[in-house]
Amino acid sequence: MKRLKKDNVVSFLKEMNKKEKVFCPQSVDGRDLMFMPLEEGVYTGNIGKTTISAKTVLFPQTEEILSFTEKSISKTIDASKTLLFGIRPCEMKAIQFVDQFMTRDNFIDPHYQSRREKVTTIAIACHEPPSDTCFCVDAGGMPYLENGYDVQLFDAGDYYMALSGSEHGEEILANKYFEKGDEEDKERLEEIKNKALHSQKNSPGMQKAIEILRENKPDEAFWEGLADRCINCGGCVYVCPTCTCFNVYDLPSQGGHIRCRSWDACVHAGFTRETSGHNPRPTQGSRLARRHEHKLKFDIVNFKESGCVGCGRCSDTCPVGLGAIEIIQELNAL
Amino acid sequence: MTNSIQEFEEAEVFFVIGSNTTEQHPMIATRVIEAVRKKNAKLIVADPREIKLAKLATLHLKHRIGSDVALLNGLMHIILEEGWEAKDFIKARTENFEQLKGIVAKYTPEKVTKITGVDRDSLRKAAEIYAKAKRSMIVYAMGITQHIAGTDNVKSCANLAMLTGHVGHPSTGVNPLRGQNNVQGACDMGALPNVYSGYQPVTDPKAKEVFAKEWGVSDLNGKVGLTLTEMIDGAERGDIKALYIMGENPLVSNPDARHVARALRKLDLLVVQDIFFTETGRLAHVVLPAASFAEKMGTYTNTERRVQLSREAIPPLEGTLPDWKIICEVCSRAGYPMNYNSPIDILDEINRVTPSYAGITYGRLKHSWGLSWPCPNEDHPGTPFLHKDKFARGAGAFDAREYIPPAEPPDEEYPFTLITGRVGFQFHTGTMTRKASILEREAPNAVLEMNPRDARRLKLIDGGTVAVESRRGEVHLPVAVTSDIPETVVFSTFHYSEKNINELTVCAIDPVAKIPEFTCAVSIRRI
Repeated sequence: MKRLKKDNVVSFLKEMNKKEKVFCPQSVDGRDLMFMPLEEGVYTGNIGKTTISAKTVLFPQTEEILSFTEKSISKTIDASKTLLFGIRPCEMKAIQFVDQFMTRDNFIDPHYQSRREKVTTIAIACHEPPSDTCFCVDAGGMPYLENGYDVQLFDAGDYYMALSGSEHGEEILANKYFEKGDEEDKERLEEIKNKALHSQKNSPGMQKAIEILRENKPDEAFWEGLADRCINCGGCVYVCPTCTCFNVYDLPSQGGHIRCRSWDACVHAGFTRETSGHNPRPTQGSRLARRHEHKLKFDIVNFKESGCVGCGRCSDTCPVGLGAIEIIQELNAL
Repeated sequence: MTNSIQEFEEAEVFFVIGSNTTEQHPMIATRVIEAVRKKNAKLIVADPREIKLAKLATLHLKHRIGSDVALLNGLMHIILEEGWEAKDFIKARTENFEQLKGIVAKYTPEKVTKITGVDRDSLRKAAEIYAKAKRSMIVYAMGITQHIAGTDNVKSCANLAMLTGHVGHPSTGVNPLRGQNNVQGACDMGALPNVYSGYQPVTDPKAKEVFAKEWGVSDLNGKVGLTLTEMIDGAERGDIKALYIMGENPLVSNPDARHVARALRKLDLLVVQDIFFTETGRLAHVVLPAASFAEKMGTYTNTERRVQLSREAIPPLEGTLPDWKIICEVCSRAGYPMNYNSPIDILDEINRVTPSYAGITYGRLKHSWGLSWPCPNEDHPGTPFLHKDKFARGAGAFDAREYIPPAEPPDEEYPFTLITGRVGFQFHTGTMTRKASILEREAPNAVLEMNPRDARRLKLIDGGTVAVESRRGEVHLPVAVTSDIPETVVFSTFHYSEKNINELTVCAIDPVAKIPEFTCAVSIRRI
């Protein structure tokens, strides 16, 4: 275990930035906190909870996937060495979830995978919930990580305690900015972990909601009632760290065309509408049902864990209270 | 809007009339929805269609199309009869109350039910809910204004608010929702035939002098110009020889599209300035390619009168210029050298000649989320809600209006009433939104919404094609059968130039505002 003084974080990141692209939570002029390339003077040390998760780095909102002319076609791979600094445990869990999805049945998404392979993760455990809508513990997670990270930092006031979780992590901890701690650090770490576990007050009851969905309790009226207030903006999907659905389209480009993909959302009617015009999810209620059943029911069947990590971003974003927290509460009230 | 958007959160009652808020102003709708859900605010929706907001309403008044004045007068009649009016407010802050009393006295519940189709109990309930709450808000949009009685409708909304004292305080007022990000700003800047910026009349010698001095000219023409609908008519008559259209696609958005096409073809010169090559642009002699919002800096004034700074995110594409630069170039070549260095220069000028914008300076906008006018000086915080202690004109003048029927009621030959509107995923004539794949996928084509009973009568199934015919044209559309629309009324959208519903609509105009009615009578046959 090592220590990284908070005063040294910027110097450390600047040094890392020479070799790889560093992304960390930053906010421009007091606007939304986002994962952005490190910019001196913008990074304030506030890790908080970004409005959109770190998935923007691994799976950008819009990306070119291939280019073609009448005669040729070539895959577009745009990946470079990247350091993700300041991702939260729930996001790391989400990345692990997406890793499974993007490589399922040996069908590997080359664009995601090429970026993923080049990403180093420095997670920061939540010694207290970054926002009121955090419910990772209720969602079966923890405010710190057991595995999956390269480096995990724990906030100990003026400094972070640093653990490595991989070989690459070991190399990072060898950096001069990481200093040796003292004998009591181990104890201190347990104390922080324990405090973190008990500091989360928000527990909407996800396990019970999963049971209720498994029993097929919610009927059409339940979902249509909720849908009456849905404005169909797709915000819940776009901010979700485990949502990876996309739409593909072609655009003209110099001398040929490029094929791009952009985030899509299952709450939109056209997402499931078939060419004939038939839509297996014909109403907004049925689409809301699909979304939440997917996360809390079918993901468990497919991946043995729910697709909701309890980050609460959808509840932060939805203007009419239809985020995961509210849906779980509504399900619990059935 | 007399209120600011945030004030919606604290309103106790919403009276939404002629606004499909969820589809057209979703971020305002969310505040209504949340106030209803979390704070038990009451919601009255007056709309012939069961719009999405109606599903959450305490009370849905399905009044007949074009019967708004009768409905509003009817509510005022009940309020006066029950003594629910704000007596102190009327005495202290209004005038011409006797005129109002005289007219609304005639709008008895019996008469109003006959005109509007709304039953007596619902009328009474709506009047009671609206009048008795402390913070009631009227919310309206084009469903109020786009009528030959549009001005009367707006006046009746204002009468209702004044009668109950529901204006001049936070979270209570009259809130017309502006449909575009800067339509308020365009009006504020004098993009109207009769005023300079800040609604200073062109006929006022003092205002004329201010602007002549600012622009370094000896005199300015004090004649009131023409409105859009009058210009099109003038072009068809041959009185108008040249039109310069910026960021508008009247060939698709104006009523009676064939008439518009005829008129535009008669012009000696048609100039169209837009970011995309529009249907109107195809008829132009000169097309001036403009830069989009992301490629320029400037300010927008939104529906709550808030002026906000917008910055250039990317430089203009090759061959395009920001609108302000195009205008400067055209003016300079026409013999009036116009030499602004940047939009900041233009804002400085706006500050000098527009009293309500005097304090909305670049320096302040740069470091804020914007300022709402009136903002008379740099120390002024801006004005979230209007008419606090007195109205702009002093006393609020009641001006009750009589109901007049729509211009083109259905008859034997054309038995359906066609209303037009928009859906949330497309904007206006689709110039921009139809180029975004996911938006286009959500709403790819025009449909004709029809009540199941009408569909059965015409032997139509959902998705079947019909010919919709009015006195002006014929359009073929697939039918979408829905009980959200009343019998003998059909609805379609005007986003799709290939099925231009405005070839059917009527250009009957309000005598004051010259706004067209659109709503017209049509016949429908299966094909």
